[in-house]
Amino acid sequence: MFRVGYDASSANQKTPNSCVVTKMTALLEVSNLRTRLNDGQQMLSVVDGLDLTIDKGETVALVGESGSGKSMTALSIMQLLPDPRAVIEGEVRFEGRNLLTLTDRQMRLLRGNELAMIFQDPMTALNPVLTIGTQMTEGLRFHLKLNKKEAVQTAVEWLKRVGISRAEDIIDEYPHQLSGGMCQRVMIAMAMSCEPKLLVADEPTTALDVTIQAQIMDLMQTIRRTWDTSILLITHDLAVVHEIADRVVVMYAGQAVESAPAEDLFQKPLHPYTEGLLGAIPSWETETDRLPVIEGSVPSPGHMHTGCRFAPRCAFAAERCDRQEPQLKELKANHHVRCFLHENKG
Amino acid sequence: MIGYILQRSLMAVPILIGISILTFAMMHLAPGGPTALLVDPTISPEAREAFLERYGLNDPLPVQYFKWAGAAIQGDLGYSLIYTGTPVSEMIFSRLPNTLLLMSVSFLLALFISIPLGIQAARKPYSLTDYSMTFFSFVGVATPNFWLGILLIMWLSVHLGWFPTGGVATIDAPLNIWDRIHHLILPAFVLATADMAGLTRYVRSSMLDVLKQDYMRTARAKGFREITVIYKHGLKNGLIPIITLCGFMLPSFFAGSVIVEQVFSWPGIGHLFIQAVFQRDYPVIMGITMMTACLVVLGNLLADICYALVDPRIEY
Repeated sequence: MFRVGYDASSANQKTPNSCVVTKMTALLEVSNLRTRLNDGQQMLSVVDGLDLTIDKGETVALVGESGSGKSMTALSIMQLLPDPRAVIEGEVRFEGRNLLTLTDRQMRLLRGNELAMIFQDPMTALNPVLTIGTQMTEGLRFHLKLNKKEAVQTAVEWLKRVGISRAEDIIDEYPHQLSGGMCQRVMIAMAMSCEPKLLVADEPTTALDVTIQAQIMDLMQTIRRTWDTSILLITHDLAVVHEIADRVVVMYAGQAVESAPAEDLFQKPLHPYTEGLLGAIPSWETETDRLPVIEGSVPSPGHMHTGCRFAPRCAFAAERCDRQEPQLKELKANHHVRCFLHENKG
Repeated sequence: MIGYILQRSLMAVPILIGISILTFAMMHLAPGGPTALLVDPTISPEAREAFLERYGLNDPLPVQYFKWAGAAIQGDLGYSLIYTGTPVSEMIFSRLPNTLLLMSVSFLLALFISIPLGIQAARKPYSLTDYSMTFFSFVGVATPNFWLGILLIMWLSVHLGWFPTGGVATIDAPLNIWDRIHHLILPAFVLATADMAGLTRYVRSSMLDVLKQDYMRTARAKGFREITVIYKHGLKNGLIPIITLCGFMLPSFFAGSVIVEQVFSWPGIGHLFIQAVFQRDYPVIMGITMMTACLVVLGNLLADICYALVDPRIEY
């Protein structure tokens, strides 16, 4: 199967050939996504011209610090932004249909059915006053038009598939009776029960403790292998990315700064920000007292640096970086980077 | 659960005893007495003395209290001093259904109007809808219901003739459901206004909090309509604090019904109570107060039980 690279630049830079291939295999194709939220006074841009492609059965990781716009990207794709005044522009093509031009009703019929999402904190993402059974079956009954008995049966099957042994009992229990890891398993079972083509996982392991994290990641691997589900994994945990992702998109301040196949990115990161992120992973091999950090923090929307958005925190920043904004460029096959350092290579 | 109900019922006993002592004391502190308003004001001092003696009203107050309490425990609330010979319990129970009908209808009315309004305000906070609802809430809370009642009688009943001016049913007419409803609309609405207004504000703030919760986003992620998300996933959570509030609202409904029944000549407990107070009909006053107290205690217990029904995290 072809792996279609992430097409960073706008349409005019695409080669005709890649367009054809894209049409054949891409499940989700996001181009030039711009999301703006209203903070009461002005429209703030939280995602700024993002391109992203996910093939069938592929796992793409979206990484970056808090505030880099990765969750906003996921919520924009699902059209679940908390603010009704939010504006989403660009194109989100799912199996060729632009989701942004669908009516509210058409989008609802896809959401939870073809595209499903799991969230960061499973303890708060489940409704505390409804039983697990109610919460699991309502989607099945709505999308797949199952009757009550069939829906319960399917729900129990899925609970077993995600590794919950006493599924029949849990159906009648409430979220507060389960542990965090169990809740996340329930969330995954719930999201997968309609057999979606795309699973968007927004930091699915962040709120869990380490041993449970590994179990949940294993579970997601299994699901992806068994059901050939495409996964958009949003995380700031690079160890998780290394384990599961086929391709990685690094986001900074609402933009993609680097995008590459996972192996490539971990072996030879090109963008200084990616290097910084990788450098901040604790390792057994190098003995250091302190972990290296990237000084400073992500700029908030509305207070963006002119020129390269990462320049104020970049060790390699030149005078030009303050003036001019670098563009995302393909340096080698499928490896894109947004940095002047690599402008003349590739 | 049953243990909890028993425990709460036991706790109610000292509360009820306290209420009875307070009411008894305050009632006797009020000037005048039942003899002041007897049918014949020219009654001789001897006859008056005989009346007081006969009903034990010359005994020291503690003795009178214990006599009353001893009988009341056995279910005997005594006899009216004014309508001589009529048992108090009979007077109360003949009027209780009317009051309960009025109260439950206006309670439901308050809930069914304030919940959608509050939710609407919470969905679009700080919008024109929200502000106008806030405005009308404050107007509703600030309007005394006797005044609103009289105003509506003047306008809707006297001028427009749409509603009867008072009573529970057309006199001498055969029992007719529509006629009963027709008589019920105005008093129920008036009684509901103040609590409806307050309740809307509480529903708004409760739902405002609920709408921001993660589980609401999860429900939206399943593709349900916004209305399903709000009423199926949100409302049950938003109602948890409201239920406690409804328990507290019960006494205010009783107090309100005393006045509304007076305005609309509604032959209920409130109407009877006002008469009894004016005539210093001691056994009737005591009877009604105790019965109201019991209902309020019961209502609060009911609210606590509902609380556990709605929120599975609560166990008794």
